[in-house]
Amino acid sequence: MQPLAFLQPALNLLNTNLDILPAVGGAVEDLLQPDVDEIEDMLINAESREVTEFLEAPTPDPSNIYRPTPPLYRPQKHLYHYFIDGSLRTYYLATGIEGNRSFPIELAQIGAAVMQRDAYGVVRPLVTRQRILLLLPRGQLGVSDTLWGELKKLNTPDRTFEVIDTTEKNAITPDEATVENLRARAGGIARNRMHKLEIEMISQTDAHRNKSAWQILDGAAKLDELIKSPFLIGVAKNFRKDPEFRFGRGHGRRLDITKILAGLPYASRTVAFSAHGGQVAFWYVRLREQKEVDYPLMGVVKVELPRPDQAPVDAELADLLSRTLVAERNVTPYGHDNRWHCHLYPIFLAEQAIKTGFYSKDVLMGMIRWPRPAQTSLWREK
Amino acid sequence: MSEEPKPIGRTSATERDAITSEKFAFWLPDDVIVNPFDIVAVEQVNQPGESASRTFGLVTTLEHRTDAPNHLANYISSNFGQLGEQPNTNRQGTTVAMANVLSNTADIYMPVPSERLIYFAQPADIQQALGTDILLKERKSDAIPAGLIRMSNGAAAVAYLDRRYLLGPESAHVNISGISGLATKTSYAMFLLQAILQTAADKDKIAVIILNVKQADLLQVDVRGPELPPEQKELWEAMGLTPKPFDRARYLIPRGEKGAPNCFPPEPNVYTLYAYDLPGTAEKLDLLFSNVADTSGTIEGIYGEIKEIMVNNEPDAQKMQSWSGLLEYLRQTGVEKGRWRGMFAGSSIGMFRRHLRRIVQTRQTGIFVDSRARNEKLLADELTNIKGGVTYVVDIAKLADDEQTLVFGDILRTIYAVKAEAVEDRSEKAPVPDKVIIFVDELNKYAPGDSKESPITLQVLDVAERGRSLGVILISAQQFMSAVHPRATGNSATKIIGRTGSSEVNAPDYRFLDQDIRSAVTRLAKGELLISHAVYRQPVKVIFPKPAYKQEQS
Repeated sequence: MQPLAFLQPALNLLNTNLDILPAVGGAVEDLLQPDVDEIEDMLINAESREVTEFLEAPTPDPSNIYRPTPPLYRPQKHLYHYFIDGSLRTYYLATGIEGNRSFPIELAQIGAAVMQRDAYGVVRPLVTRQRILLLLPRGQLGVSDTLWGELKKLNTPDRTFEVIDTTEKNAITPDEATVENLRARAGGIARNRMHKLEIEMISQTDAHRNKSAWQILDGAAKLDELIKSPFLIGVAKNFRKDPEFRFGRGHGRRLDITKILAGLPYASRTVAFSAHGGQVAFWYVRLREQKEVDYPLMGVVKVELPRPDQAPVDAELADLLSRTLVAERNVTPYGHDNRWHCHLYPIFLAEQAIKTGFYSKDVLMGMIRWPRPAQTSLWREK
Repeated sequence: MSEEPKPIGRTSATERDAITSEKFAFWLPDDVIVNPFDIVAVEQVNQPGESASRTFGLVTTLEHRTDAPNHLANYISSNFGQLGEQPNTNRQGTTVAMANVLSNTADIYMPVPSERLIYFAQPADIQQALGTDILLKERKSDAIPAGLIRMSNGAAAVAYLDRRYLLGPESAHVNISGISGLATKTSYAMFLLQAILQTAADKDKIAVIILNVKQADLLQVDVRGPELPPEQKELWEAMGLTPKPFDRARYLIPRGEKGAPNCFPPEPNVYTLYAYDLPGTAEKLDLLFSNVADTSGTIEGIYGEIKEIMVNNEPDAQKMQSWSGLLEYLRQTGVEKGRWRGMFAGSSIGMFRRHLRRIVQTRQTGIFVDSRARNEKLLADELTNIKGGVTYVVDIAKLADDEQTLVFGDILRTIYAVKAEAVEDRSEKAPVPDKVIIFVDELNKYAPGDSKESPITLQVLDVAERGRSLGVILISAQQFMSAVHPRATGNSATKIIGRTGSSEVNAPDYRFLDQDIRSAVTRLAKGELLISHAVYRQPVKVIFPKPAYKQEQS
């Protein structure tokens, strides 16, 4: 099949029914915001700004919230066998005009990969999937219902190609759509679909995960809804920096995250806190010594462990998860990724596996050909 | 049914490292072993309607690449240089092999596309890759086995030299270089001579002259040595050759003091002593002074006059019947007033005499005699009667440098004369051999790389440049090719290179080798040699068997 062959009918349909103002050069890649993960964490964990409960057994002493977790390397304990990550690229294609409505038309490539690590430390892709999304608004901010109906008919059954409404609300785009935020929403919706693809792909390892073979998900353990898969943790490199922690009698002891993480010793973890009504236990782990990084919050990851039964996490399990996680600091993608200090290399490889499967910008440019409107040349008129 | 060949990698072109019509790169899976000089095959396009062609490549270098952008990334990946830290995940990396294009089965030299599967070349492919397949098909009798190409997958193929490019008429001569002791230059030359003789349909028309320059290494070449180990026998047999000593050898040993043979023990059972008296050397006096600095040409002038006197039998010739007589004549001439023959001052004659006396009297090894005994022959007389099918071993191991130069020059001049003109002195009834192959080690002594062109150097250059048409073939060896006159090595259509130091291999004389191959030359093991032959598109690495004749060590 010709690459992106499913795209041309959609472009033809849009061109026939809309006035199209193509982007300069055919398409423009939307650059990601540098703190997009942090913003996402704030949106997804909006109700968790104030942390007051521990979710660890035995219940931690509020005056001592750090536990040492020296690295436990793969030869001693190979705990994390699977790693899952998603990646996306979004492109602004054109401005569509229908009646008196004008709106952005965006294209996104999303993908997710599950990587498997063998006993020798060799990582290979287990499953990778890619999808193409055509993102444009529907209704009063976008295309008419008639055109929308025609566009949706172009969705492929295997969901390789999907037309998506950029006015939809989800965990990442909770606000109302406006003319001004349609482009930003397209990016958010593409991220949401990417996360959904990740969650779909967790099931690929369901039969293989057990107490000796865990999976790491890049990012949070909750999206629109809670991930309930066992033997899985979410590891976030970037996380919100505004939570407040209140412990003790009457929640009298108040700490902000900066203070907590600045005091977190090297190769240690915080005790597990409760989020989402006890359905998620989360804690922080310092992978790198503070002297090795630029500021105290670098080299720290946030670990989220789904607790669908709301049971506190056993301290020994949290220690084991953290110790094996500290060992994941070697090797690093230093030089390739600014987040190297808290990036897990197998996750970085998953990103690479996805991105190498994406169509390059050159291929996209070659495929996105807006048909020229019928010319009304002078000689015809004669 | 033969087993389906297994792929060993895929070609890889990147933004920075393109595949060209000359080179291609391919990555290797973790469980594949490939080494420099392996020959690989890859599918290539062909004309419409034709089945895909194949391109062959010679692996030159291998490099391991990872995704670490710099060494600092690896240092940091060990938790900032902590040696006790272990990598939980292996960094992504692969070994990439670079290959020089050897040939294409359809003569298509478009760059090989990326992502094509690579295979080890099969033995039949190797002949095609080297360009010797047509030789084997059409002129099998001209194919001379020159070693075994053994690849990392265990496959082996014989490297053949084309006789027409080895012994003429297309091109000729072989030059062997490499570090002493490791490069096994002499052993290889002896193997190659065996291969030439064993495969020649006309071996009775080929004569071989070997100069023995070290110990008694080559003084038993017709005596069978101890039984070779099975793997050595297999090597001989793999090349279709028989491990055996030389069939008919004649040993020419220099006379020593008091008429004894002057060679390292053990001396051959049967040999002929050779010596030089003045009348027999008159024509070769120039060779005697090859190593003497003669910037003004005075020495050349004096020996020219002496030669003139002797050849024309002038009155003074009566005083020049022996070396002693000549020295005495020169002593008297040197003290007489006036210029000798109106040209040379007494001091010049004195200087000439001192050199001559040193060479033929005070520092000589016994080879120079005032009069030869019946059993002491002139080397030139022996070689004038050279016969095909015979291997002549001329021992010069114990001779002084000036004497070695004289002997080698004498051999070249005699053979050249025998081949170039109908020599009156030849009494041998058998016809003059079609080919005379001369093997000499330490060629740098006789044709040094500096600009000085002494009589011996000119003689060597003459053979190198014109010997091919006469059927005089030089197989020469030396440690450093750069130390030999470039016209001598440049005229060798076949170059054999053993392990060589990096400074030497980067000399201009080795420019015919790709830079990657030059680096690989520094790593060649003992017994491994690189062959660059006029027919080959790239040099190949070969191994060869040990000789079957008795060696000094055995």
